[in-house]
Amino acid sequence: MELSESVQRGLQSLADPSSFDRRSYQVLVDVSFRSLLSSQADPSVLDQPELKQIDQILLKQSHTAATTFILEAVKQNADKSTISSCLEELSFSADRIEIFYSTHQEHRKEVERLLASIGRCPPHIHDASWCLQYHVKNDQVDKINEPFYLISLNTEKERSSDDINFTCTVEQLQDLVGKLKDAAKSVEKASQM
Amino acid sequence: MEEVDKILIHALKQVGTEVSEDTASVKHLTGELIVEAVARCIRVIDPGLGSPLPTSLPPGMSARFRVGTSLAQACQDIGYKGEIGYQTFLYSNEPEIRSLLMFLVEKLPRERAEASDQPTGKSVVLQRAVAAAIKAQLAVPWLPPNCRLPLHAETQSPVALHCFHAQPLSLPHCSKGPGKDPLREVQDYQREILPPVTAQPSHHASVVAYILEQHAAELSAAQEWDNEWNSQGLLSRLTPQEYRSRKLIRLRKRVEEQLHSAALPSAEGDFGPRSTSDLSDLLQAFRGSTPSDHILAKGSNFTHTQKFTFTQQPAAAVTGPSVPAGHQSESDVQLRQQEEQLSLQQQFQHLCSEFEELAADMKHMRVTNAQVLDELKQRELGNSENEEKMQLKKKTIDLLPDADNNLLKLQALVEASANRVVNLASQWEKHRAPLIDEHRRLKEICSNQDLESSRKLSEMKSLHDKIRVSTEEAKRKEEIYKQLVTELENLPQDASRSAYTQRILEIVNNIQKQKEEITKILSDTKELQKEINSLTGKLDRTFAVTDELVFKDAKKDESVRKSYKYLAALHENCNQLIQTIEDTGTILREIRDLEEQAMLMLPSVTSHQ
Repeated sequence: MELSESVQRGLQSLADPSSFDRRSYQVLVDVSFRSLLSSQADPSVLDQPELKQIDQILLKQSHTAATTFILEAVKQNADKSTISSCLEELSFSADRIEIFYSTHQEHRKEVERLLASIGRCPPHIHDASWCLQYHVKNDQVDKINEPFYLISLNTEKERSSDDINFTCTVEQLQDLVGKLKDAAKSVEKASQM
Repeated sequence: MEEVDKILIHALKQVGTEVSEDTASVKHLTGELIVEAVARCIRVIDPGLGSPLPTSLPPGMSARFRVGTSLAQACQDIGYKGEIGYQTFLYSNEPEIRSLLMFLVEKLPRERAEASDQPTGKSVVLQRAVAAAIKAQLAVPWLPPNCRLPLHAETQSPVALHCFHAQPLSLPHCSKGPGKDPLREVQDYQREILPPVTAQPSHHASVVAYILEQHAAELSAAQEWDNEWNSQGLLSRLTPQEYRSRKLIRLRKRVEEQLHSAALPSAEGDFGPRSTSDLSDLLQAFRGSTPSDHILAKGSNFTHTQKFTFTQQPAAAVTGPSVPAGHQSESDVQLRQQEEQLSLQQQFQHLCSEFEELAADMKHMRVTNAQVLDELKQRELGNSENEEKMQLKKKTIDLLPDADNNLLKLQALVEASANRVVNLASQWEKHRAPLIDEHRRLKEICSNQDLESSRKLSEMKSLHDKIRVSTEEAKRKEEIYKQLVTELENLPQDASRSAYTQRILEIVNNIQKQKEEITKILSDTKELQKEINSLTGKLDRTFAVTDELVFKDAKKDESVRKSYKYLAALHENCNQLIQTIEDTGTILREIRDLEEQAMLMLPSVTSHQ
C-alpha cells in the first residue's frame, strides 16, 4: 500500500510515544473513525480533554494522516498482514498496531458502506405487472388483430418507488427478455474469470 | 499397488468416469466401467480419434465385439505397445487393464499445469477479486423488498448515493526545515481556527471523496517528481531546490510570452467584436499601470456596452417622467434608444481616432526626443576632445620660450618613461608565467573532477535502477507467493502427493538394487566364461602335445598303441560329456522360457473357460 509523504509523516508522529502517549493515541484513533462515520460534520471533534496538551498543528496533521490511512486501507481491502507491515515500517509499536487493528475491525463494515455509497445507480426493479391486450380494430384500419403487452415495472430508488409503464409488441418483449438473458450470462461469465 | 490404483482411479474421476467411491483397486472395476474409462481417456487425449467411440458396451455380442476391436485399435493408434485386442475389454484381466490404464493416464494432457501459468499482474488480481465478489453476491438469493434482511441490505436495497465531488482541502503544514517557515499568523490560524479535515467540506457526505482525491493527487505528484528528477534532474547536477526554482522561472517566462503574443493583436485591433478582449483585460491586470484615459479605448465591448447602458438608464430615467404615462409606445422608445446608441457610437469612434492620432504623435515625439539626445551626446564628446587638444597646444606654447632646455628635459623624460615601461614589462612577465602555469593546472583539475562526477552520476543512476528493479522483483515475488498460497488452499485435497512420491522413491530404490545385482551377475558370468575359455585352450594344447608324443611311440610299441587308442577314446568321451552338459544347459534355459510363457498363457486360458 502506497502512502504519500505527508501521510507518512503524520503517521510517524502518531507512532511517537513522546508526542502521543497511549491514552491520547487511543482517543485519536477513536476520534478519527468517529469523524468519518458520523452523519454531521463536527468541527469540534478534536476538542477532547486528552488531546489538549498536544500541539494543535501536529494533532491536525496526525488526524488527517489517520483518516487518509483508514480510507486507503478499507479501499484496498487490506488484510491484517498488510496493515501491520505498513504500520511497522512507520515504526509503530506492536500494541499500537493491535489497538488500531481492533478498532479498524469494529468499524470496517461501516466504512465500507461509506465508500460504497459513492457512485451512481439507476433505480432497482423489484416487481413487474403485465396486461395482455388484443387490438381488434381502430378508426383507420378495420382489422388489426394483434396482441399488445402493457408492462408496468415497479422500481425503487432510495426508498421512493416509482413506476415505469410501457407498451410493446410480442417481438419487442422477446427482444427485451433476450437482452436480460444476455446480461445475466455476462454477469455469470464475469464471475468466472 | 494400491497407491498406483488410487492414482489411476483419481485420474479417471477427473476425466469424467463415474467411478463409485469404494472402488479401491483396479480389479473392482467392471467391464462397463473399463470401457467407459478407456473411451473417455481416448477422447481427452485425441478428440478426433475418440469421438466416434461409445462409452458403454452395447448388449449384442457382435456389437460388443465391434466396440472392443475399435477401442483396441484406437489404443494402438495412440501408441500402446502391449498386446491388445477385443479380448482385453470383453474378458479383462487385472494386470493387462492396469498397464493399459497406466499408459492412458500418462498420455492424458497436462491441462492443469497450463491453467496455473497465468500471468499474475495487478489487474489480473483485481479481476479475480472482482469475480469472487460477484460470485458471492450472485449466491445470495433475491428477496422482495418486504422480506429483506440486513444481509441483503448491501446488494439489494439501493442506498442513497452521492457523486464524487472533490475540492481542495487546506492542510496544516509543519515547518519543513530548510524551507521558509510559514508566517506566525498563518501558524496561529492553523493552530486555532483551521477546522479538522473531516469538518472542512461543505457536504459531509463528500468527506471521503475529498480525502481520497487529496491523497491520490499527492501520490501522483510525488511519482511525477520522482520520474522527472531521475530522468532530467540528476543530469542537470543541481540540487532539488535549485532545479525547482529554475523550472519555475522558466515556466513563468513562457506563460508571459504566450500572454503577450496573444494580447498584442487585440491592442491594435479595432472596436469590432474581440475574441481576445478578455485576455487583454488580464494583461491589464498584470501591468497595472495604464493611464486612465486609455481605459475607455482598451476596454472590452462588454464594458463599453455596460457604460452605454448605464448612461442610457439615466437618460431613460430623465425622459421617462417627462413623458405622460401611457402615451409612449415601445417602438418609439426603442427608436430613440437606437439613435442615442448610434450617436454615442459615433462619439466613441471619434474618440478612438483621436486617441490613435495622439498615440502616433507621442511616438513621433519620442523618436525625435531620442534623436536630439543622441546628437547632444555626440556634440559633448566632440567638445571634450577639442578641449583636450586646446590644452595640449597651450602647454606647448608655454614651453616654447625656453625651447632648448625644455627639449632636453622632455627627451630625458621620454627616455625615463621608456625605461620604466621596459622594466615594468619584464616584471609583469616574471609574474605572468607562474600564474599561467597555475591556471593551466587548475583547469586540468577541474576537468578531471568533471569526469569523475559524471562517472559517479552514471554509477548512481545504475544503482538506482538496480534498487528499483530488485524492489519491484521482491514485491512481485511476494504477491505471487501470496496468490499461490491462497490457490493452494483452494485446491482440492483428493490424491495426496506423498503417495505418489513415496511410490516413485520405492520404485527407484528397487531398480537401483536390481541394477546392482544384474551387474554382479554379469561380472560373474564373464569370469566363468573366461575360465572356461582358458581351460578349453589348455585342454586342447595338452591333448595335442600328448597326442604327438604317444603317436610317435605308438609306431614302435603295441602297448603304446593301445594306450593311444584309449587316450583318443577318453578325449572323445570327454568331449561328448562336455557337449551333453552344454546341451543340458541350453535345454534347461528353454524349459525356463517355456515355463514363463506357459505362466502367461495360463490366466487367459482360465478366463476363457
